[in-house]
Amino acid sequence: MARAAVVGAGMTKFGVHDKPLQELFGEAALPALDDAGVEPSEIDAFYFGNAMSGQAENDTHLGPKLASHVGMAGVPVQRFEDACATSSNAFKNAVEAVDAGIHDVVLVGGVERCTPETGQDTAAMTRIFASASHRQYEQPTGLTFPGVFALFTKRHMHEYGTTEEQLAEVAVKNHGNGALNPNAHFGKETTVEEALDGPIVADPFRLMDCCPFSDGASAVVVVSDELADSYDAPVDVSGVGHATDVVPIGDKDTPHVTQAARDAAAQAYEQADTSAAEMDFAEVHDCFTGAEILASEALGLVEDGEGGPAAEAGRTARDGDVPINPSGGLKAKGHPIGATGTAQLVELTEQLRGTAGERQIDGADSAVAHNLGGDAATTVVTVMEVRQ
Amino acid sequence: MSDRLTHGEWSDAVESGELLGQTCSDCGKTQGTPKAACPHCGSRALETVELPTEGVVYTETTINVPPVGVEERGYQVAVVDLGEARVMGRLSDGEVGIGDTVEVSGFTEDDDGYVAPAFEPR
Ligand SMILES: [Zn+2]
Repeated sequence: MARAAVVGAGMTKFGVHDKPLQELFGEAALPALDDAGVEPSEIDAFYFGNAMSGQAENDTHLGPKLASHVGMAGVPVQRFEDACATSSNAFKNAVEAVDAGIHDVVLVGGVERCTPETGQDTAAMTRIFASASHRQYEQPTGLTFPGVFALFTKRHMHEYGTTEEQLAEVAVKNHGNGALNPNAHFGKETTVEEALDGPIVADPFRLMDCCPFSDGASAVVVVSDELADSYDAPVDVSGVGHATDVVPIGDKDTPHVTQAARDAAAQAYEQADTSAAEMDFAEVHDCFTGAEILASEALGLVEDGEGGPAAEAGRTARDGDVPINPSGGLKAKGHPIGATGTAQLVELTEQLRGTAGERQIDGADSAVAHNLGGDAATTVVTVMEVRQ
Repeated sequence: MSDRLTHGEWSDAVESGELLGQTCSDCGKTQGTPKAACPHCGSRALETVELPTEGVVYTETTINVPPVGVEERGYQVAVVDLGEARVMGRLSDGEVGIGDTVEVSGFTEDDDGYVAPAFEPR
């Protein structure tokens, strides 16, 4: 028995959207409702994620504003903020609610606007993003988020010999996948040479190692296992793990192992009675190329230390033995913080339905999503499977 | 009244070139920043300890795209291994790599008055 099922999915293209948050969210939520074939009146509750609209555009208490805009004023709404893991945390709570019988049909989604074109400039957003690191024990050093993952990645390079070329291979792969995704922020392929030629943001990361600032929204309709068969195209949610790690980085035992991801993955696999070896593909939190390499190891898709060589050998390509980020990932698809977690689940839903078009992973039956927040302090891992 | 290490005391120490941490009396682990209870075992029996001001660079990065409020570019941030604990700080000389020995050389302070230790090669 599944814990829940996704019966509808929708997302906007990620990129630049010069429109208010509620209108942007509506462009993901209404298609998700239509995909599920449910009316707003059938939604029992709304689980919503947005990380930083208070800081970025002086817009808070978004739950009822968005619910009103999409025709479900009156439903209970809960808003989640867990840095980049925001909407997958909303999803986890939604799954738990239907699994526990508290609700039958719920809407889950997120929205965020991060582009300089529609809001704050790069330096201001860099500071707002950095607010997810420790205010007293990380931020005063001038640490940024590229810096956080650079610290993890450089230690990984030191321990295992991971190279800048291997990082570039991740960018090349994800741009190639993104070029096949009509919703991706970047639709253009790149090369290792081009990636290695870019300006350094926080070494070892160059511009092409970093995900963009994006605007966007995503949403899914989640129902209980008992109700799932009454919908056209349900996809099972078999497990959702969620764990945190010590903050700040200096107090983590071994920062580059991203322990929260390992703990969350173990929970998700156990709930689903499955293992990493059974996963046909993964959507992972590649906010930076190094983060994808760490995630591929933390999820058990490759052995520790093999993340870099696996990327270089093409094992993580769509036709490899462990495809990672067929959507293009955060790197190419884009990263509107609060919309990222549910957007990964939109990709899992489409792939497992076999409707992902040119980027379809043939015969995908089981997949895992990994959404990370802060200095790797929060991670939510979700296993979804084709409904039997 | 608790004598548990506070952020204020930790900061005062950083400003005088010292590093304070906490050692858990129950599980024995030491951490480089103050907490109300041990993050590993939950014990409140945390003893304030003076950490060495010399250590080895555990990991580092040079940041070229700073947040608003930081004027300089190309500054180096590191996690320094002090033996029983690690602490994050600035490196005042930008040519330091993993494994290099460094010592406290001062501190940096942000717009809100929060401080971080600074290190230089030994
Ligand atoms: Zn302890």
